Amino acid sequence: MAEPIEPQAPAAPEAPAGPYVYDHAAAPFRQVVMPKTVPLPSFRTYTAEVAAAAAADEAKWQKQLADFEVAKTKAETEGKDAPKPPVRAVPRKDDNDMKTPWPVAATDADLLKLQELLGDSVEECFEQAGERVCQVKKEAILEALRVCREEPSLKYEMLADQSATHYPAAKDFAFSIVYHLTSVSRSKRLRLRILVPEGFIPESACDLYPSANWMEREIYDMLGIRFANHPDMTRILCPEDWEGYPLRKEYPTVGWGQRDIDFRDDRGGVLNRLAMEKAGQLGINLKQPKAD
Amino acid sequence: MFKNEEMEINLGPQHPSTHGVLRVKLRLDGETVTKCTPVIGYLHRGVEKICENKTFFQGQVWTDRMDYVASISNNLGWAEGVEKLFGIETPRRARYIRTMLTEQNRLASHLLWLATHALDIGAMTVFLYAFREREYLLDLFEAFCGARLTTTAFRIGGLREDLPPGFIKNAQAFQDRFLACIDEYEELLTENRIWKKRTVGVAKLNAEDCIALGVTGPVLRAAGVPYDIRKAFPSAAYAEMDFEIPTRTEADTYARYLVRLAEMRQSHRIIQQCIDGLPEGPVMAKIPKILKSEVNEVYHPIEAPKGELGYYFVAEKGGTMPYRMHVRAPSFVNLQALPKMTEGRLLADVIAAIGTLDVVLGEIDR
Repeated sequence: MAEPIEPQAPAAPEAPAGPYVYDHAAAPFRQVVMPKTVPLPSFRTYTAEVAAAAAADEAKWQKQLADFEVAKTKAETEGKDAPKPPVRAVPRKDDNDMKTPWPVAATDADLLKLQELLGDSVEECFEQAGERVCQVKKEAILEALRVCREEPSLKYEMLADQSATHYPAAKDFAFSIVYHLTSVSRSKRLRLRILVPEGFIPESACDLYPSANWMEREIYDMLGIRFANHPDMTRILCPEDWEGYPLRKEYPTVGWGQRDIDFRDDRGGVLNRLAMEKAGQLGINLKQPKAD
Repeated sequence: MFKNEEMEINLGPQHPSTHGVLRVKLRLDGETVTKCTPVIGYLHRGVEKICENKTFFQGQVWTDRMDYVASISNNLGWAEGVEKLFGIETPRRARYIRTMLTEQNRLASHLLWLATHALDIGAMTVFLYAFREREYLLDLFEAFCGARLTTTAFRIGGLREDLPPGFIKNAQAFQDRFLACIDEYEELLTENRIWKKRTVGVAKLNAEDCIALGVTGPVLRAAGVPYDIRKAFPSAAYAEMDFEIPTRTEADTYARYLVRLAEMRQSHRIIQQCIDGLPEGPVMAKIPKILKSEVNEVYHPIEAPKGELGYYFVAEKGGTMPYRMHVRAPSFVNLQALPKMTEGRLLADVIAAIGTLDVVLGEIDR
């Protein structure tokens, strides 16, 4: 006759290894480093920077000369040897195949023509890396696009690309929107640019260039800029109920709500089991989803 | 007994002829499409956001995953865009090898298009013929960089390695037999009565509509506009190559088929010129180990097999990563033309229209 089996006390549940609930404040992937500079290419700021750097360099050199004169007279009065005269520092030459493309003043006929036709609406025109850039006032973008499309000497028939950039560190604007126009007949390209603050609703380019339809929807989806008179201002790549705008700089690279439990720490499957138990207590069957 | 009401159906997202996860909402009156709405985003991975957090060297790996049947074209756009941003001059030999590989990739992409497009319409045999040649090309890519599809073939400033031994010999062997292969495809399809019935006059899109909707590539050239970025804004070694831009004026599916086949012959011609005139010299420019940018923005377009592929970079002072990266994907813009091409036509023509646009969903959703 077999002996009755003694009932055993259940084993104490194992303590989970390591922290498994993501701390939002400390989570390394969620921490966003906000940019501190405004990398907006511009001939005006570039020339101002170059002039400031040259002035600082000159001031430094003058101070070195003055210091040398003082040291010289001091040495003469004390009867010592005269100090060595200062040598002006020469910028170091890099031995590589890179020639940084700096912005240069606009010389292209198209840009000059645009400046002439648009007058005060043009904020800036310059060329950089062989590309023509024209920045116009944000209210005048539709007029600028119309001129580019319909003026016989310009004839930019195609809107090749439209895109926007977020500049959280800028003071009087938040986004730049760029329009890359192509003239198929003349094989030329032009970039129009506007700067818009948060909440500003620029005019849609859909009437002039139907290809702007999906591009503007993408800008709205990714950066949250709405366009006026757009036929269908809805999200295009993300689902309709998505929260936030992914290409803004404050948006983290790890999605919200997706990694509250970091299963990468869960080598032994402990967290997975705990999650299943928790679901069982709440009456949720994780294995078999309910039919609709 | 007979009801006269419109029906709404879904084509996709899991449908073999959509070449990925494309969903098309269709409104049908009998067999006629009255409204067509493409729904995209099922493959969205946020490549642009990821590339903002990767250095200029690392970001290229992500471009392979966009248009995965023409990844070398994607690599070329990235590498040349970054080189333009920094003002890097690439050695001539590297530019020749880049041109050769990009053209071979164009052949591979067009072969895949031909195979699947013919399969969608009902010609099974071409599929097997085209994949035979594509396999040979993928073996060449594997010999060059170790991968068949996700190549990451180029580096900023040139190439990582020179061509492996025997590459030129194998490439020449492919060159010698490929023209006969194109003739084979043409024999199977060009005068085929069923093929012509399914393609002639189907999914028309005239030149004005193409330009208004931003459609580029073979679709635009089949409408009679000789716009090719390899000629209009030449990069790599295209300025030194002698080739033509094939165009048609019919602007239908059959014309696009003829344009793509003619393009394959031109690509074959460019590859032969690259093999014959391959210059000697280094394949990598002298650049620092860490690239630090100045404030700059560039838009660099290249002619990918699907159309204009553009990379837009914004760089900050002293940055090692792009401040903003945007991809102008040819398939994304071309797919906008789908409603224009299909509304008022038959349901079966929607399949032909999706095939003739040659869309890749990895590139549309990014």
